[in-house]
Amino acid sequence: MQGRHVIVNDNMKSSPAVWQKLKRTRMIYLLILPTIVLFLTFTYIPLVDGLRISFQDFRFVGQSRFVGLKNYIEAVRTPGFWRVFRNTVILGFSNVVLTAFVPMILALLLNEIRFKVWKRFSQTIIYMPHLFSWVIVGGIWIFMLSPNAGIINAARSLFGLEPLYFMAKEAFARPIMIGVNLWKQAGYVCILFLAAIAGINPELYEAAMIDGAGGFKRAFYITIPELLRTLQVILLLNVMGALRIFNQIYVMRNEVIAPKIDVIMFYVYDRGLVQFKIGYASAIAVMIFLLTLIITLLAKRLIRYKV
Amino acid sequence: MALRRASAGRRLFLLINSLFLISLVLTMIVPLVNVLAVSFTTDLESYENTIKLWPREPSVEGYITLFQRVAILRPFLNNVYVTVVATFLHVMFCSMAGYVLTRKSFVGKVIVIALVTLPNMIPFEMIIIPVYVTVKRLGLMDTLWAIILVKVVTTFSILLMKNYFEGIPKSLEESAFIDGAGEMTSFFKIYLPLAKPGLATIVIFQFVSQWNHLLPAVLFLNSSEKYTLQLALKSLVVSQEVVSTTQSVANNARMAGIVVAIVPLVAVYVFAQKYFIKGIMVGAVKE
Repeated sequence: MQGRHVIVNDNMKSSPAVWQKLKRTRMIYLLILPTIVLFLTFTYIPLVDGLRISFQDFRFVGQSRFVGLKNYIEAVRTPGFWRVFRNTVILGFSNVVLTAFVPMILALLLNEIRFKVWKRFSQTIIYMPHLFSWVIVGGIWIFMLSPNAGIINAARSLFGLEPLYFMAKEAFARPIMIGVNLWKQAGYVCILFLAAIAGINPELYEAAMIDGAGGFKRAFYITIPELLRTLQVILLLNVMGALRIFNQIYVMRNEVIAPKIDVIMFYVYDRGLVQFKIGYASAIAVMIFLLTLIITLLAKRLIRYKV
Repeated sequence: MALRRASAGRRLFLLINSLFLISLVLTMIVPLVNVLAVSFTTDLESYENTIKLWPREPSVEGYITLFQRVAILRPFLNNVYVTVVATFLHVMFCSMAGYVLTRKSFVGKVIVIALVTLPNMIPFEMIIIPVYVTVKRLGLMDTLWAIILVKVVTTFSILLMKNYFEGIPKSLEESAFIDGAGEMTSFFKIYLPLAKPGLATIVIFQFVSQWNHLLPAVLFLNSSEKYTLQLALKSLVVSQEVVSTTQSVANNARMAGIVVAIVPLVAVYVFAQKYFIKGIMVGAVKE
């Protein structure tokens, strides 16, 4: 009815209607404008710029020379690049796997707790490290592992053990990085799993109990299979983040353990913006970006095919 | 109900499970208690090789060092400034963009959707060099605005707000349009007030991530009066003690620095916990 009303009046109101429509759309563009400008300035243009710089002998003052693939060739021929690449793969892979499976197990265990207050309390506490910056988390752990009054060496001294220089032992370097990362992230991922568990249809459990399935059987035949989708999503998120490790290493590295833990993004920062080998560092950043893109797309495809 | 016929094996499992989870929670609590205790020790006690869960003679020497010698107040206030401005702009811009994505059709909608969602695939760490070049060209080097602007809009928050807006009944907006309201009125007067839980979620997440920002400060700030909190703390808490044994600042001041950086986060966490949980869920479902 209203439609006909509009049509009848169309001739008379045609110009204000068009004007109003235009005005409405114009407002839409105004609302999206800041986002587009900011993404263009600080994401898209830099992305293209980075690609261009990677083919140049870049300098801030004067003409940058086009050098073709020179930076790329130099990168893959530098042993230092392969060393940080190896470190990144080792740390990244460990993080991807551990910060998916350990939180899942924690969630299964936490879910068995019947005492609600304690369950909520432990969830609240284990999520906390996720809130803290890497400077805070790194600072806390460097201090705890320190030979100067760190709590771990203080505990060792109770047993008459000599203080250990944890942060100055190459053998400890990677396990410490992986462990501290797990300490920081596990609670957050655990909450994702707990939410997924809460979403499982309770009838499944009731049916299993009628069939006489115990706690372990319920976990193995109902909870874990129902969590597979969540597990896949978390693995995907972890994979996307695996090659971008920077903050933790920037904060926790020192010259002694650097050869074991320096990662690609730190290397890019160091070569590019400390030593100002900008073209060279850009070439590495471009390669890693493409690699991340490929891995992400592969992982996404894999997940979609499975479920 | 489930516990009614708990077998001996099950009870043993529950016992071991509880003990395990208690020790897990302790690995989170003990470090924090340790940090807090050390921050309130005297300079001398903070060097003693003992387990400190409570200061022997409580003292604020560490905090005095932190505010006088280390001069943490300036970086702290810079951090507050960056966090407040960036969070405000983030919420404005992301909710505006999220609203636009809910509009039925307009010229170039496909392009807008692509432009807004693709940055999710472009990690900031991987474009630091060209972003550095951009910031330098724009004359923003060594300014707090560089830090505010580089990461002020995120795909995550835009999509989160879009989802919230989509949950609001269209009839409200339609009746407003009949009364002659435009998109601006519809956004500011109808959608924004009704999306408060969504706004709260992105406020909190942006607050935490801005408060904790490190990499932009490392990249763009040179002069110490511009330093933001994490950058100032980095040199304080991460002393190179493994290499040289001389420490310029005592442990109590280092831990006091950590406490000062943590307090605002814990305060927000305690008061807004439900929004954290909500935000985590939305994030996981969205991806």
